[in-house]
Amino acid sequence: MILTKTGEDLHLLKIAFREFYFNQGNMVEEPSKIQNREFGLMGFDGVMKRHLAFSSLGGLIASLIFETPSDVFASNAQYDFPTLPISEKGWRGAELIFDIDLKDLDMKCIRSHSYARCLSCSSSYVSGSQESCPKCGSNNIAESMLPCDRCVSGLKNEVLKLHKFLTSDLGISPEMIGTYFSGNNGFHVHVQDESFNDLDSRARADLAAYILGVGILADAIGVTKDIRNDFRIRFPIGGLDHGWRKRISDRLGISVSSQKRLSKLIKDLGGLEQFRRRIAEITRDMGVRIDSQVTTDVHRVFRLPGTLNGKSGLTKILCTDLNSFDPFDESCQLSNREVTVRITIPKLKLRLKGERFNLNEEFVRVPMFLGVYLISKGLAHAVRLDPGTGRFIVPASTP
Amino acid sequence: MNIRLGNADLARYPFLNEAAEYMSQTYFNLDDLNLPELQHIVERASNRIRNEIIHGKPDNALERHEVEILTFLVGILIIKAINSDNLTKKHCLCEALRAEKFLVHDLKAQGELANKKLLIFKVFKELLKMDVLPSLKYQLMFEVKVTDYLKRSHLFHEQEWKLINRLVHDGRVFLDPDETVRLIRSELANLLFERIRQMNPSHIPTTIREKANILKSILPVAPRRLDDAPSAYPPCINHALDQMAAGENLPHSARVMLATYMLAIGKNIEEIVSLFENAPDYNERISRYQVEHLAGERGSHVRYLVPSCAKLRNDGLCFATSQCEGLINPVQFGRAVKSYSKKASVG
Repeated sequence: MILTKTGEDLHLLKIAFREFYFNQGNMVEEPSKIQNREFGLMGFDGVMKRHLAFSSLGGLIASLIFETPSDVFASNAQYDFPTLPISEKGWRGAELIFDIDLKDLDMKCIRSHSYARCLSCSSSYVSGSQESCPKCGSNNIAESMLPCDRCVSGLKNEVLKLHKFLTSDLGISPEMIGTYFSGNNGFHVHVQDESFNDLDSRARADLAAYILGVGILADAIGVTKDIRNDFRIRFPIGGLDHGWRKRISDRLGISVSSQKRLSKLIKDLGGLEQFRRRIAEITRDMGVRIDSQVTTDVHRVFRLPGTLNGKSGLTKILCTDLNSFDPFDESCQLSNREVTVRITIPKLKLRLKGERFNLNEEFVRVPMFLGVYLISKGLAHAVRLDPGTGRFIVPASTP
Repeated sequence: MNIRLGNADLARYPFLNEAAEYMSQTYFNLDDLNLPELQHIVERASNRIRNEIIHGKPDNALERHEVEILTFLVGILIIKAINSDNLTKKHCLCEALRAEKFLVHDLKAQGELANKKLLIFKVFKELLKMDVLPSLKYQLMFEVKVTDYLKRSHLFHEQEWKLINRLVHDGRVFLDPDETVRLIRSELANLLFERIRQMNPSHIPTTIREKANILKSILPVAPRRLDDAPSAYPPCINHALDQMAAGENLPHSARVMLATYMLAIGKNIEEIVSLFENAPDYNERISRYQVEHLAGERGSHVRYLVPSCAKLRNDGLCFATSQCEGLINPVQFGRAVKSYSKKASVG
């Protein structure tokens, strides 16, 4: 994110966020056993206050209106004493959560809608393949990205893959899976099946590796090392009907009755070592690009559903129907009231809250939701009219 | 479930609640152990523990249930009288290994499914609060809930235990009898340890105390450590040494780390083998073979290197401190400490 907010930017963001929590506080989702959760509130100054606790949703919303944080987080863990330091909190289990973020998807389109701002000369431009400022050559660059429909589609595909792992492999009922748009560049998948809550970090790391497709052995599908013949095939007792065994065998086009075919395939690849590499590639390709650190951390705080994301001004929101879900529409909850902004990127095109915007002018009147989105992304600054001269007051940026 | 196990089952699994119920029904009194007709039981339990101290191996002989249940009980009393945490851990591991052998046999047996289910219920569900079911789809396979599996499998560092290398479907992991039982080995040993720790017999009969005193005299005097000051070792090695000293059952990967590290810093085979004397499953012959193998004196004649810090972190064996900063292998630690001390002592 481009970190150059002016005082005017912060003023506008705070007004918009306060208005949201005042008028739409009912969107904030109450976590179960709220009194046992640790909360974290991030200020617009970037300072995070952690180890907070609230005994009721009303108390939390009042605090959000009063303090107006840029981001609101709650622990997935439940604690006996949520306000004490980590070692004294008394951990009582944590929900299993997965994070799928655009940065992990290697989408080819990203560079075409990523924007850079030179922190030395303040010029802005489409990132492209340039690593330094085309104007002054500085490497002191801040980047921002506006996800496109293709990015959202890529994210949704990963979420659907994850759903398949969770339901088919791990036996989690679909009703126990909550899928949320994070409000910026990703999705959070919350598992509400409590039997997973008491898994520790190491167990979660193993689960994350399973979903990522990391650590497969050829032995898992019955191919083992043989001193005389390089390899030996003896299909496992459970066959190749389920889980990773099925995924790999389907991709390779083999079954338990095609031992000769598999043997030929291994030889064609060049032997056991090459075959091992091949199935590792397959599992990495078919695995879900989750952020394993997020899943493994049992003391983390997560963005609270129904709150605003300070990186975009969009809301973290539950997707009831992932296929039809449009993050640029449904998560855009700020008001339509008009504000004036100065756009720092020329010829910006985007779609938000069901409207298409072609921003060609430097100074434009836009709805609050768009103004906040652009300012949060570092692509615009808030401006106001001087009542005396009737001209725009352009505040200096504060790097 | 109100169905009861047969006496033969109680002989193999004397730690089950039903075995304790059986004892209470016989009106057995602790002082009965001083009676001459029960001396063969006291002798049997004492020999079992002696064997565990000397060879680190469980006794796999199986007698009728009255003898087995009493031997188990007397064994615990002797252990209580000796009052050594290290020996208690060793004894519990041996009892767990013994039960493991019978359990694998019983799960593999082609008997009635109902009997197998009952045994599984008594051992896994009642004792360890774990759901295990004989698979209806795959003969001789068992289904374990994926959460139950994950809670236990991370104790194993071998890649084959990683979930991705298992048959997983619909929230269940499919395991063969050996794997099913292996999954609970350390848990069973810990459960027995806790039970013994919490047990408070009203008194220890004289015959038991006498046997305990004899066995106490053959216990290793003190955990062996090498001569160097502990601060010369990296924290991962110190942690492993401390665990070994406390009689903990170190995982294979930790033992490999310890042995390869000691070899790398120039310790001889004798010294390294003696380090493992305190392990609950210590067997001098096996330990020597393994250390010699790591030293490249046996098998493929390849000398094994000390695992890297990254590998140790992955295996949960790293206990890094600020002194470990920048190291990629534990062997560098000694050098860093030495050069630091040299520097510190100059001027």
